Amino acid sequence: MSNDPNFTGAGGPTTEELVFDAKEAQRRRKPSTMQRVGDHMKREWQLYVMLVPTILWLVIFLYKPMYGLQIAFKDYSIFRGVANSPWIGLEHFQTLFGNDQFIRALRNTIIISFYGLIFGFPMPILLALMFNEILKQTFKKTAQTIVYLPHFVSSVIIAGIVITAFSPSAGIVNTFLGALGVDPIYFLTKPEWFRPIFVGTGIWQEAGFQSIVYLAAIAGVSPTLYESAVVDGASRWQMMWKITLPSILPTIIIMLIIRIGNMLEVSFEMIILLYQPATYETADVVNTFIYRQGIQGGQYDLAAAAGLFNAVVAFVLVMTANAISKRYSRTSLW
Amino acid sequence: MSGVRLEGIVKAYGAVQVVHGIDLEVQEKEFVVLVGPSGCGKSTTLRMIAGLEEISDGDLTIDDRHVNRVAPKDRDVAMVFQNYALYPHLNVADNIAFGLRIRKESKETIASSVEEVGGILGLTPYLERRPADLSGGQRQRVAMGRAIVRRPKVFLFDEPLSNLDAKLRTQMRAEIKRLHKRLGVTSIYVTHDQVEAMTLADRIVVMHDGRIEQIGSPMDLFLNPKNTFVAGFLGSPPMNMVKATIAAGDQGPVAEFDGQRVQLQQIPALTNAVGLEVILGIRPEFVSVADQNDPNLVGLDIDLVETLGSEALIHASLQGEPFVIRTDTVGQMHILDGIKGFTIEPNLVKVFDAKTGEALPGQVLEQ
Repeated sequence: MSNDPNFTGAGGPTTEELVFDAKEAQRRRKPSTMQRVGDHMKREWQLYVMLVPTILWLVIFLYKPMYGLQIAFKDYSIFRGVANSPWIGLEHFQTLFGNDQFIRALRNTIIISFYGLIFGFPMPILLALMFNEILKQTFKKTAQTIVYLPHFVSSVIIAGIVITAFSPSAGIVNTFLGALGVDPIYFLTKPEWFRPIFVGTGIWQEAGFQSIVYLAAIAGVSPTLYESAVVDGASRWQMMWKITLPSILPTIIIMLIIRIGNMLEVSFEMIILLYQPATYETADVVNTFIYRQGIQGGQYDLAAAAGLFNAVVAFVLVMTANAISKRYSRTSLW
Repeated sequence: MSGVRLEGIVKAYGAVQVVHGIDLEVQEKEFVVLVGPSGCGKSTTLRMIAGLEEISDGDLTIDDRHVNRVAPKDRDVAMVFQNYALYPHLNVADNIAFGLRIRKESKETIASSVEEVGGILGLTPYLERRPADLSGGQRQRVAMGRAIVRRPKVFLFDEPLSNLDAKLRTQMRAEIKRLHKRLGVTSIYVTHDQVEAMTLADRIVVMHDGRIEQIGSPMDLFLNPKNTFVAGFLGSPPMNMVKATIAAGDQGPVAEFDGQRVQLQQIPALTNAVGLEVILGIRPEFVSVADQNDPNLVGLDIDLVETLGSEALIHASLQGEPFVIRTDTVGQMHILDGIKGFTIEPNLVKVFDAKTGEALPGQVLEQ
């Protein structure tokens, strides 16, 4: 027999030709991506119909406004419109970074976000771990309901409760301090108190609700892991540290990445509701700065530049956090 | 001695009792398999021994110590779970070392124990891998490693091979057997697979509806099942059951059915039971294939002959019920072509009372 790999016998096509023909036939048989997507859409049209509202929402509220982002690089005038306003390059960004108020707002945003991350992020995890340890179902459900409740209350009402609670005349906090012989403190007019009150309010309002995600993750941990640990002699505390926490770590990391991505999105309404000129020094953040400059001051282009800066920083943060997480914990958003 | 004794063990969930007073004594170094269909209480019994379920009534003794109220960690038992119960965030070495770390063993002890166990189970190359990066068999070995590293007095296995494919199950079964021989630790193993029970056990405990039906060596249970449940549960293919009536024959008692008769052994319990409605238990392996010229032929409606190489399974029906024969093929193929029925030695027919399902006394088949 011939050693020639192309040998196929008398007069027939060579092996190479046969392989080529087979590949060609396979390629011809394999539908194109467009064809496959089309077929899928025909087959699963109900799924695509359900997708339409979300796509519309994304397009209308997130993608369409991006067109207006260009005014960050233009000398925008509402009379000339977005398209006809002249380009001015990075002038607005230079103005922003030369503006003490913006620098102050940026610093406050970072500090408040950092506090929120340090104190606010672990709180739902702790709550979930605590709920998980409660054995009595009635107590567990009552405690969960009480802790979830503030999430469903409007920010205006929450702010009202906070303002009332910290009121120097009739607030419960000052009443309590008064009972201890401490003079009333004007908490909401003192810059040094704004950040703790704001961060604390955020934790009170959202920690319970955010704990649901972690509770769901805990519910997904196989009970046999705990049984195995019990036989091995682990205490409840050891099981929490050595099984529950590591098991929900991927969820914690995903939530952390999302949180880092939203770091500069400090709760705008709550700041607006709680701050006042006396506390601008510690309370004014990029979003309130944009609101004052853009909506109240009519400097839409400058506000757009500040907003764009915010978005770019958030994008960089989330990409970095994701990359770090992917490298060190095998968990990532994408 | 590191034996386990269960005396009148009961498990009840509220008013519902699921284990009804089990008595069992497992000797030191013995390998006992609890076998039975789903819901028979075998896993619950094992979990009570482990301390994962509270004992409602009765006494549990491990190593001559009453342990009803003793915490699982203080019973000195180790358990291997059906789904392995490996910690996904820990690598193989850390999984194996988990129990030792919890017990605050020294680093040197942990390292040497892990190394030793890794060697015994062939896990040394995988010690740094996480469970997600292992095959099913390797995960099962890690689970066993976690159990043996603590050198417990008793091993408890809760259907440890159920999640493996057939080939791997056979392989792991042999490994468990080998491991038991090597370590000599008292072991209680739960399974619903009678092949596992037959191959692994020193003694098998057949359970049904929260009660023990029979305890004995695998061959004893196979040859001398106490009742129709045990007879039907052990053996693959299962024992054939034929309804019949005992009659007096020329050479002793016979069983009659559908105008056919089978010679029974001459023992008082059968000789004196003329007219009794019975169930004949006939193992597929105990019959000889026969053609129509055989005078002792019991006729069958042959449906299908499955040739499996060295042996064949003949699927037939008798009294409208399936009847299976397992036979060698070597030198028999010409008979298989013309098979019309079977013949059987009288002492190989097991006779059960049709009303109670219990075997009539005195029918002991020696191994």
